[in-house]
Amino acid sequence: MKPNKAHLALFLVVLVLLSGMVAVWVHGAASRLADLQSSAKGPGTAVASASDKGYCTGALKQILRRVLTSCGLITGGSQRGCQPVQARSVAAMSGDDFNALFVPLADRAAIIQFDQDSAELDSGAIALLDKTFAAQRGASYFLVVSRASTEGALSYNRELSRKRAEAVLDHIRSKFSDPDLDQEVGLLWLGAEYAQLDKEFCQWQRSRPDEACTTAHLNRSAFIAWIDCRL
Amino acid sequence: MSQPRSGAVVALAIFALVGAIFAAVSTADFVAFLDRQVHSVTCSFVPGLGAADTTGTSGCHAVLMSPYSAVFRASTWGGIPISLAALSVFAFLLFRAADLLIRRVAGDPDETRFLVAATLLPVLVSAVYLTIAVLRIGSLCKLCVGIYVASLGVFISAIVAHRGAARTAPRRSVPWGAYAVAFVEGVVFVAVPVLLYLALKPAYTSAMANCGDLIHPEDRYGVRVKLGGPAGGVPAIEVIDPLCPACKGFSERLAASGLGARLDPEIVLFPLDKECNWMVSESLHPGSCAVSEAVLCAGPQARDVLEWAFANQDKLREAGKDTKRVYDLIRQRFPELGGCLGRPAVKARLNRSLRWVVANSLPVQTPQLFVRGQKVCEEDTDLGLDFVLARLLDRPQPGGGAGR
Repeated sequence: MKPNKAHLALFLVVLVLLSGMVAVWVHGAASRLADLQSSAKGPGTAVASASDKGYCTGALKQILRRVLTSCGLITGGSQRGCQPVQARSVAAMSGDDFNALFVPLADRAAIIQFDQDSAELDSGAIALLDKTFAAQRGASYFLVVSRASTEGALSYNRELSRKRAEAVLDHIRSKFSDPDLDQEVGLLWLGAEYAQLDKEFCQWQRSRPDEACTTAHLNRSAFIAWIDCRL
Repeated sequence: MSQPRSGAVVALAIFALVGAIFAAVSTADFVAFLDRQVHSVTCSFVPGLGAADTTGTSGCHAVLMSPYSAVFRASTWGGIPISLAALSVFAFLLFRAADLLIRRVAGDPDETRFLVAATLLPVLVSAVYLTIAVLRIGSLCKLCVGIYVASLGVFISAIVAHRGAARTAPRRSVPWGAYAVAFVEGVVFVAVPVLLYLALKPAYTSAMANCGDLIHPEDRYGVRVKLGGPAGGVPAIEVIDPLCPACKGFSERLAASGLGARLDPEIVLFPLDKECNWMVSESLHPGSCAVSEAVLCAGPQARDVLEWAFANQDKLREAGKDTKRVYDLIRQRFPELGGCLGRPAVKARLNRSLRWVVANSLPVQTPQLFVRGQKVCEEDTDLGLDFVLARLLDRPQPGGGAGR
């Protein structure tokens, strides 16, 4: 069992081959890593962010920003919600154009209906409100636009629509302990004097789908919608 | 030198060569990951001919990424691949067999006795690793099977060669000195490549460890789920998708490393399922929104639900195209969660979980691990996990605060 020169030569040859392979592999990995570190980083993994849907055009964002700022959301002021006159002036558009803003939100919106002269949420309204609010997905803002039908005095309708908006907000606040609530829910109460819903909105999701859909029924309501726009 | 005796040594040489090829391919695959990038893994009984695993779903990938594929993982990034030692041993056996054939001493019982002893090592290690693969990892790797077969082959060949040699040769004293020299040769065959590997492998720099911190670590949304860790454990947050195979693998690696037991883990659910996650256009893991709801509904039993989800990922993902089917599967296993699943409250909480991820501007991927608020880089969540986590855990806690 005595080693000879052939043994030694073979030993060295195999060992060098083995070591050479390892050196090439490891050196290759080290070179690739060095290249990676020296080169500028390419587009990495997407970063988590709120939704910004295609319908969030510059014009829509501008109006949304004005509405939200004036209604106390973005600035976080003491004011909570916009009255009809304010809503009209900050939106700076006709009632029909204002309503048209919400058309792209059809699948994210719902109409919470109330009895005449009432701001009380019934079971159907609560169920639809819960379902709609829970389906926030990546949206940043939740708008509550409440209205009243044209019966009654202007000031009474303003007050009634304010109560309807606040009923919605109160329910959301009690049901969902969302720390961002004050930064994401915007209230607009329009009474019966601005941007009344027309019958086209009968096709939208309503809390009383089996009830007759007249403009009076439609406007005894709070229109709610998540807005998938980043401002 | 009779023909059968040299025939057994030739067979040994062939098995050693085959073992060396399988071990070399496995080592090359392992070493490729030292560049901290993602690579495909060879997974074939005929290396070079089969399609490589690019998805990370093969047994070869599972074994390569398992804590058993390398040693000294906490001491050097990635550790020293066990396949490198296997390659060295097979190369040594190939050298011994070739040497006997060249020197025409294949019939020398002193030589063949050493071969038997030397081949005992790979066959024993193969038996241990086969057991680990079946019982612990639950996957068999084709390259490893090649190594197991080659190990058995060299051992049987050595026995056959020795029995033939011992039958005709006169009895004589054991040449311990020559055996010691041969043993040292074997040690050199293992030590030189390992030292070379350690000397040449990329250094782990502090810049590599810097993958950022949580911007808003506070849990103002109440979405973090405690999994229950040891008292005084190091606070850690795992961002996971319960149906993500990488999350399952990560969880297993963490548990197997032993370092997971030192963490006080909380999870933040981040299902990559378009059903509830607006950040993905396609559901990477369909059904994971429903399973995430179940984890949130489970409260203190969240760990049970998570482990069940990990164990049944394939089945749940398959059912995932229909959320109702996933709910049914959950209700079958956890009937007590039936009243919570699908309700607006839990959906809203899951949404807040996603918003926590948005608030922290995290990448849209899972898993992600934060230890004391510091992110463990994605590149360090597989081969480098033990090394990086050990360093993070041993680092003094700044200010003694929670630092989450």
